[in-house]
Amino acid sequence: MIDAITTSLFTPIGEDGLIGIYLILNGLKVTLIVTFFAMIMGSILGVATTLMKMSSKWYLSWPANLYVSVIRGTPVVVQLVILYFIVLASLDVDKITAAIIAFGLNSGAYISEIIRAGIQAVDKGQMEAARSLGLSHWSTMKEVILPQAIKNILPSLGNEFIVLLKETAVIGFIGGVDLMRAGEIIRSRTFEDSVPLFTCALIYLLLTYIFTFMLSKFETRLKQSD
Amino acid sequence: MIKINNLHKSFGDNQVLKGISEQINKGEVVSVIGPSGSGKSTFLRCINLLEQPTAGDILIDDQSITAADACVDKLRQKVGMVFQNFNLFPHKTVKQNITLAPVKLGVMNQQEADEEADKLLTQVGLKNKADAYPSSLSGGQKQRVAIARALAMKPDLMLFDEPTSALDPEMVGDVLDVMKSLAQDGMTMVIVTHEMGFARDVSDRVIFMDGGYIVEQGDPEALFSHPKEARTQEFLSKVLR
Repeated sequence: MIDAITTSLFTPIGEDGLIGIYLILNGLKVTLIVTFFAMIMGSILGVATTLMKMSSKWYLSWPANLYVSVIRGTPVVVQLVILYFIVLASLDVDKITAAIIAFGLNSGAYISEIIRAGIQAVDKGQMEAARSLGLSHWSTMKEVILPQAIKNILPSLGNEFIVLLKETAVIGFIGGVDLMRAGEIIRSRTFEDSVPLFTCALIYLLLTYIFTFMLSKFETRLKQSD
Repeated sequence: MIKINNLHKSFGDNQVLKGISEQINKGEVVSVIGPSGSGKSTFLRCINLLEQPTAGDILIDDQSITAADACVDKLRQKVGMVFQNFNLFPHKTVKQNITLAPVKLGVMNQQEADEEADKLLTQVGLKNKADAYPSSLSGGQKQRVAIARALAMKPDLMLFDEPTSALDPEMVGDVLDVMKSLAQDGMTMVIVTHEMGFARDVSDRVIFMDGGYIVEQGDPEALFSHPKEARTQEFLSKVLR
């Protein structure tokens, strides 16, 4: 056991002479960077897509619906590979940027669905009451609907970010070295299976646990304002 | 004040209003009664365009509200509405519920609106609830706040859509009292209700609707005591025992 840990994590492995833990930490950095920026890109895209979908103009709602259908209907790993090897092939885009764009695009579609569901969950009597007072559609949205929808949206949004973090584990498909890929490299160089894989699993678990914890704190605070 | 000509409303294949013509004068209190599904709520909701009429015309102060160029938001500022389910804004306090529209629409500044809210809350007997959130109020209190909220826009006309149907029986009286004093103050009111006693006491006129038509209408005393139409007699014999 101790041997396995020393070999896979603390002994120089491979021709570059790097130790396992260094690879893992570098991989973790890539995972976090991709997750973070994809989260931001996804949120912006999600809001924009929701606005387009709710529009009464077909040339706005139609592309938004198509985008969501395509993203939801295909695996994220397929989207990632197509984006990197086909769409961005002629451009000189590095793997991490490509991954951020792919996961951002993917997440944006899901986030737009989360926002839409959150808005639709607000009782339609709220819209009628505000409109009956003479408020316009947009001021009703801003003053009445969105403040209530946000409470429906935030918990699901937190879940989406956890899913996103875990889904980045397929970055290896385009040759990027994220946490999962780092584990795989160690495995192939040392022929130790358990230590690198469980180390990866543990780190993912720890990250999602911390995130869930922060989220539940935040939700408790939101509930207090009810 | 309101003229309604041959109003039709369909939801898909379902014809709910099949030609309603009616006139409501300033200061008049009109109750609309009838069985469920008779179209009375739809009729009311057409008056402030929460439902878009399929055909026909509605004129308020000689201005068509169904015309393509009619400004719906402006119209609604002058037509208050009270809903069966109150529809208070749960994330705002009682006072904020009342002041939101007048301030946002530039009818009053925040200070004027606050003063107006205090006055209205006193009027509906809920002055001590100004800073409470709707979730802490009983149904009857919520509905009285909803009435105050509608009145804050100083409407010329108030629409009530079964305002007491979702209330516990013991709460009904408080809400009806507020409406009664409103009627006495000369507010023009159209009330869809199942409270026959209230309709009889407070209304200047009662309309009986069934199957998307106005079957009969008239003075409350006459309509309740001597209904002319067989359908009205049948309905009243069931609800008045």
